[in-house]
Amino acid sequence: MQDTVLIVGAGPAGLSAAAQVASAGYKAVLVEKEDVLGGAPIISGYARLVPSGEWAKDAIGRMVKRVEEDGNVTIHKGTKVTQLNGEAGKFTAKLSNGKSVKAGAVVLATGFTHFDSVNKPEWGFGTFPDVVTTTQVEQMVTAGKIACPSDGRTPERVAILLCVGSRDRQIGREWCSKICCTVSANLAMEIKELSPKTQVFIYYMDIRTFGLYEDRFYWKSQEEFRTKFVKARIAEVTAAPDGRLLLKGEDTLVKRPIVIPFDMVVHAVGMDPNMDNPEISKVFGVGLEQHGFIERGEHYTNTCGTTRPGIYSCGAAYGPETIDDSISQGMAAGARAIADLHGMTRKAS
Amino acid sequence: MAIHEKSLIEPERLLRHETLVVDGVDVSGHWNTMITPRTITDYDDDFEAVIQRYPGAENVHRCWQCGSCTNSCTMYAQNVQFNPRYWIYAVRTGLKEEIIKDKDIIWQCVSCNKCTSICPKDVRPEGVMKALAHWLEDEGHMPKSPSRVFDEEFTEQIYARGRIEDSLVLLNFFRKTGQPLVPQWLRVFGVRLMQHLPVGLGMRFARNVLIAPRTRSWGRTGEVLRQYVREQKEATHG
Repeated sequence: MQDTVLIVGAGPAGLSAAAQVASAGYKAVLVEKEDVLGGAPIISGYARLVPSGEWAKDAIGRMVKRVEEDGNVTIHKGTKVTQLNGEAGKFTAKLSNGKSVKAGAVVLATGFTHFDSVNKPEWGFGTFPDVVTTTQVEQMVTAGKIACPSDGRTPERVAILLCVGSRDRQIGREWCSKICCTVSANLAMEIKELSPKTQVFIYYMDIRTFGLYEDRFYWKSQEEFRTKFVKARIAEVTAAPDGRLLLKGEDTLVKRPIVIPFDMVVHAVGMDPNMDNPEISKVFGVGLEQHGFIERGEHYTNTCGTTRPGIYSCGAAYGPETIDDSISQGMAAGARAIADLHGMTRKAS
Repeated sequence: MAIHEKSLIEPERLLRHETLVVDGVDVSGHWNTMITPRTITDYDDDFEAVIQRYPGAENVHRCWQCGSCTNSCTMYAQNVQFNPRYWIYAVRTGLKEEIIKDKDIIWQCVSCNKCTSICPKDVRPEGVMKALAHWLEDEGHMPKSPSRVFDEEFTEQIYARGRIEDSLVLLNFFRKTGQPLVPQWLRVFGVRLMQHLPVGLGMRFARNVLIAPRTRSWGRTGEVLRQYVREQKEATHG
């Protein structure tokens, strides 16, 4: 009987899938291309997570510890899967560290890649040091100090631009990255907590703090932390003569051009398909959907499925996803994989 | 290029010289018309806090510009320049000049409170309108309202003597607001009352009490009526 599930990616979804497989008494082999476990929240140094408010290193750290201490989980860090042979029930994977793994099912928890802001040059990232991304501000919050990278001063005024790398046909990204609105509203509060005198403005097209995030993040940020929301898609970020940044655009609600000075401009970067997806698609023989994320199988009776039997997926590999939902989907994908192993046993006996 | 949104050009932003010659070319009149830009070049971060200190405007920072207030507004139906959503935005971003520009219509709010009932964020726009009217007065953009003059006179008397004299309050109020003690409307009312006092009517009352006259050409009508009613009763009840 085949009792092993191969899990690719050790972010929130993969860690959750591994824990699920192991807790049911099966073996999980966890393959992670980076040298650390935890995925984006750990590698990119997220501060406090939405919506729990727990520090990423604590919350995700617990997930990492859980699989590291589990005898049923084998972990390969700094490793990729280079080849996958066989079929559902009897896969054989070759790893880049020379080892090979026999597995009954595979879970692709390969996540996403942050949008690279240099692809929107008009918004100044890479040109002006004080134009940063939400990821960088997360790191500032983690370090406990909000400062302009150019000279270390505390910014009097910060602008957060939403939909950077999302909802933009010009750069072939026609999806909403789902969580940036909530993350930005939350970041504005964290900036205020660290630097109460800083004014934070959020420039938006729509605010999509869905479900219970509406009042807990959007309203709270506006009403208790005085974040100002301005409906404008910024045309251009340039430098003012005094070294500050100038935000140019149109204030949609009052039909007036704006040219406003800011000390720091933050790009709320979206979620791209994992940059390795073409390779993943080839190695695992799974299809990608039109945007480049992992293509979902029929969802109603083949939940967590891909285009190939025996290979499952979950979390941000499928498209922009929240951490909490990625964790739930990881458990679901783990459960699907176990059911496959169990099905093999039932057939054999 | 044609200007598609002429409504966005306020008259004060139109610059035109009656006579102007540039490099020997006569561009007098509308040939030299220029429009100054309406670009917002900075926010005043403190203005919102100033307005929020007025009672009623405490929640102005909650606004998310949905426009429910303007859509439900009684005054907006009369005059599309009356736009509470816009003024609330001007408060939030510190566009003081926009408030001052509309000083002659902001006070027209009739306090129907439809905006306050409909506002999904509980901004209480009616309170904001009141606060703005008071701010305009405080800053000297509008003359003191009669109600404020009255309040000041009232309060001063309390400070001075611990009580008010009704007549003195009224007297000083009329004097400070430049109103005559006997206003024009009261004088006209009195004169007309005197002119139309129903003296003749009173005299007819008195005479009729004494002599109880019959209606003209009544004759035997009374007798006939009495007989008719009796016959009808008999026909009905037997």
